Amino acid sequence: MIKNQKLDLKEFDDIRKEVLQTWPTGQKVSLEEAFRFHRTIPEERRFARAMQKAREKGRTLLQPRAGVALIDDHIKLLRYLETEGQADLLPTTIDAYTRQNRYEEAEKGIEKSRQAGTSLLNGFPAVNHGLEGCRRVVESLSKPLQVRHGTPDARLLAEITLAAGFTSFEGGGISYNIPYAKRVPVEKSLRDWQYVDRLVGLYEENGIRINREPFGPLTGTLVPPCISIAVGIIEGLLAIRQGVRSITLGYGQGGNIIQDVAAITALRQLAEEYFRQEGFDDFELTTVFHQWMGGFPEDEAKAFSVIALGAIVARFSGAEKVIVKSPHEAMGIPTKEANAQGLRATRQAINMVEDQVIFKPEALETEVNLIKAEVRSLLNKVYEIGQGDVATGTVAAFEAGFLDVPFAPSIYNHGKIIPMRDNEGFIRIFNKGHLPLPEDIMAYHRQRLQDRARAEGRAITFEMVTDDIYAISKGKLVGRPK
Amino acid sequence: MKNETGNKPDGSSTTTMEKQTIVLGVIGADCHSVGNKILELFFTSEGFKVVNLGVMVSQQEFINAAIETNAKAILVSSLYGHGEIDCQGFRDLCTEKGLDRILLYVGGNLVVGKTPFEVVEKKFKDMGFDRVFSPDVDLKKVAELLRQDIREKFRADSKNSEADPEAAESVNFGTRQRN
Repeated sequence: MIKNQKLDLKEFDDIRKEVLQTWPTGQKVSLEEAFRFHRTIPEERRFARAMQKAREKGRTLLQPRAGVALIDDHIKLLRYLETEGQADLLPTTIDAYTRQNRYEEAEKGIEKSRQAGTSLLNGFPAVNHGLEGCRRVVESLSKPLQVRHGTPDARLLAEITLAAGFTSFEGGGISYNIPYAKRVPVEKSLRDWQYVDRLVGLYEENGIRINREPFGPLTGTLVPPCISIAVGIIEGLLAIRQGVRSITLGYGQGGNIIQDVAAITALRQLAEEYFRQEGFDDFELTTVFHQWMGGFPEDEAKAFSVIALGAIVARFSGAEKVIVKSPHEAMGIPTKEANAQGLRATRQAINMVEDQVIFKPEALETEVNLIKAEVRSLLNKVYEIGQGDVATGTVAAFEAGFLDVPFAPSIYNHGKIIPMRDNEGFIRIFNKGHLPLPEDIMAYHRQRLQDRARAEGRAITFEMVTDDIYAISKGKLVGRPK
Repeated sequence: MKNETGNKPDGSSTTTMEKQTIVLGVIGADCHSVGNKILELFFTSEGFKVVNLGVMVSQQEFINAAIETNAKAILVSSLYGHGEIDCQGFRDLCTEKGLDRILLYVGGNLVVGKTPFEVVEKKFKDMGFDRVFSPDVDLKKVAELLRQDIREKFRADSKNSEADPEAAESVNFGTRQRN
């Protein structure tokens, strides 16, 4: 049974030997050499430092997603985003084969990309490029650099990229499994991420602070805030237990402005509360807001509008970082020009609202309180069935459907809950599946959905969900009938 | 529109005996699951017998399922940009395994980067796909084409049935790169 306990160093070393053997590039990794290299990295290129500074100064930093198959092209792409896009923080998005540990296929993808003269992979295959290749990327840039991916078992990826000098690593045992994999047991991915966090903890013990960022948006499709927040807090607790100190919790834009601001507010307050409740007080907590993660309009003008709204809400929410989309989102992976355009559009929108104080209407307070009550119901259940242990409880909670992510591909996720928007675009829960949400809260959700059904002159059906999923790409937030 | 089987006017289904079987899935290492769930609901409501393999499906898994269920068509989705690599050799493998008449449809965001649809369509038709669809295709149109293609391709077989489409609207194939 998995426990939320610090991984024993001897056990870690045993696993480590195996992990480094899973692909030839693993053999080149040496922690001592990595620590020495990290000590030479200047302040302004350290991710944790940048996030903490943003928190102190009340700023929102901009970060794109980007990654291509070949090293030189990848460097060119990131430099372009640095100069033309003026990104504050840089990514290296990993390709989908690497995310599934399918390194042979990644190798073929590299080869075919060379032949084609263009990237046929949807990201940077960091494991195949190995320590030297990754370090060339690190040394070519002047902004802090993070690994962004979607890898259920990211142990080798973490070993290689962190040793190469990346200073932040995205993901977690739930958020990089349930939405990204089909048949990986929750317990397995939790263990593999305990390893990653323990590795980050080792860097920490050696005076090197690596930032960790659980992936908040999950499936990016009508995810009720309470689910995203509960998962984020659990992953935060698991990371801190392994010795992580710099942690950035995320949330994906839902679309209703009040609900989005409320979600980030509740996330920050509750994470602080739960971390302290488990006895931690030495952590740096920051938040990240993801611009709209669902389907985008194809029309680039309309896409810019979606991007700008995300920028404004990110700013009003007080998140320290915003993950930026591009006007090519509807078509897949953007060109570097389109990616930089997304950054510039975001910058403009944020600059215009930066100094404004969001008014705090009653509706916001109501929503913050609602979300907090929901998250508490979920997390209390996790602790209860884990008999006080959050890791044990998480595995049992997914089995029982007490934690349930809508539209996820994983067979270890119930997928029973049905979310849909209410008449004002708040994401509500129509069918709670087995989520342990109290009846008064569910009554509120249902009443809000009834209000919409009445306004639209139709009954609440599954069609509403489909309408909602495609609404933004078709020009609206709420999927109304024709 | 004929209404021999499939959905009755009141929306309920008759026996599944005459329903055409299609295999559905997201190919390769792609885990985009939202559109896949919607396609399953849509084609089911259109009167097809849908064998949904979910996400991260290999060519071999598609083919095995098609053989086991005597499917008339395989509908391949790809959202993450590796479609070009993942779909290479699919038609040949079908032929090799004895599926010489199977219809192959593919749709989604099939290549890395914004590319004119005509270029993408030609690329995948050259690979042996019967139909190639952009992400914003009207699903009702796809269902009609599918019925028509099955009728023509399997004309020699027993008389084919038709369903009365009435359910879903035009929708996208799904969402995109996350993290």
